[in-house]
Amino acid sequence: MSMTVYHGEPNGPSFTVLAALFEKGVDAALVHVDLAKGQRHNLAFAQQAEVAMSVEGEGPVVVVDGEGMTDSVFIACYLDDVGSGSTLRPADPFARWEMMAWCRQLIERTAPAAAYLGLSAQPPTGDAATLAKIGSEDLRARWQEAAAGLNTEDRLADSKMKIAQAVNKIEAQLDGREWLMGEFSIADLESYAWLAGMVELLPSAFAERPRTADWMHRVRKRPAVAKALSLARQPAPAACWAPGPEINRWG
Amino acid sequence: MSDVTLYHWEPNANSGKPMLALMEKGVAFDSHYLDLLNFDQHKPEYLAINLQGTIPAMRHGNRVLTESTAIMEYVNEAFTGPPLMPERPRDRWRVRWWMKFMDQWLAPSFSMIGWNVFVGPAVRSKDPDELKAAIERIPLPERRTAWRKAIYGLFSEEELKESQRRVAVGIRMLEAALGEREWLASDRYSLADVNGFNLGYALPLSQPKLSNDDLTPNILRWLRAIYARPTTKACWAMGRTAMVKRVAILEQEHIGREQVT
Repeated sequence: MSMTVYHGEPNGPSFTVLAALFEKGVDAALVHVDLAKGQRHNLAFAQQAEVAMSVEGEGPVVVVDGEGMTDSVFIACYLDDVGSGSTLRPADPFARWEMMAWCRQLIERTAPAAAYLGLSAQPPTGDAATLAKIGSEDLRARWQEAAAGLNTEDRLADSKMKIAQAVNKIEAQLDGREWLMGEFSIADLESYAWLAGMVELLPSAFAERPRTADWMHRVRKRPAVAKALSLARQPAPAACWAPGPEINRWG
Repeated sequence: MSDVTLYHWEPNANSGKPMLALMEKGVAFDSHYLDLLNFDQHKPEYLAINLQGTIPAMRHGNRVLTESTAIMEYVNEAFTGPPLMPERPRDRWRVRWWMKFMDQWLAPSFSMIGWNVFVGPAVRSKDPDELKAAIERIPLPERRTAWRKAIYGLFSEEELKESQRRVAVGIRMLEAALGEREWLASDRYSLADVNGFNLGYALPLSQPKLSNDDLTPNILRWLRAIYARPTTKACWAMGRTAMVKRVAILEQEHIGREQVT
């Protein structure tokens, strides 16, 4: 089995996947792709349904035996299954449910809000020829919106509120705990992945949240995380965003 | 009395996922039916179980679990009985990918259409003040918006058109995946199929122009194979509404493109 990881800057979903890869000591070829320029859509497997239609949008792709895998939490579960070393998921089914439900709510509520704020601060710059290759019509529409500038007042306000709520939830969860699920897990990686870039953009959400600040520091100190962050090509990878998860269409 | 209680509505969409998963695993559970159309899920007795007021929720011993897909993975891991996740790690990834794709992209589009034609009209005749109060009791702001739109018929033409577009894309994707494999995500029956059946059991009736034996033979083969399982029959027999009884369409041997209108 040979594995290739196509990844962007170590932020958002690329962060989760790279850190999980190194945590689990999995051997893989690494290929840097500029997700914020839409370069993923030039790759050979870009039209495979699970790549083109990933709910996560512009995330990393892990290719094994010609099959592209997307969606960082599930890739991390896969790496946890195939890799070595300590597990990235709790063993107890209830604790495991807690972790999966935590990640699910984060993906649904926090990730779209973070992507909205991140892209509003730094619009993506895909060229027209590349964007024409995007297989998902709604992802293409999100690219166009993001390139035009995301500045709808109520969306900005709603996104800021959701980030603040996520930080509050983390602060509460860390009461008496070193990691979100007790033991270190995918929930720590995924939560850090979406929130690291928010510290600068929305400092008020992190003010007087000492447990969250300490936890972020602990995450960064892990050797696997440091290795993932060392792959950055931009001076501030946490400020790099690409169109990704959409804000719930129901309102 | 079982140490598992499931709080659920119809065997349909999110409620049906843990119902069918529990039955496939052979886990006995106390069924606690909540009438979604009577807003039972926002009443204090249920909010004491699940503060968010979403259905389903499952009590196992003294623990309460929410999020239907995460509950299914729990059910699969916490109980003995036939495994509902494949062995190979990449197959497991595919099961999770498809469940998320359905949960977050495809099902909301199906349900927007369903809420517009079924749920909204079904509750609209209630007393206006009662409806207003019922909306105000909904804990999650997103759900409040959804109910307001459904009750007052406020889904825009554009929103409904986008949902219909996604449904068409999703049907094509399901047909293609089921053309490659016997089951949705791997070569064995899994949680992805449990999830998918809850989404698509009435497909040839709800989307007759997009899904039938002529256009989507693989989807129809798949739906019939799931419906043929005794657990599926038992689960859908727990349904009380006409919406769920539409599953009987799958008893027809051939549903051609001209047959349903």
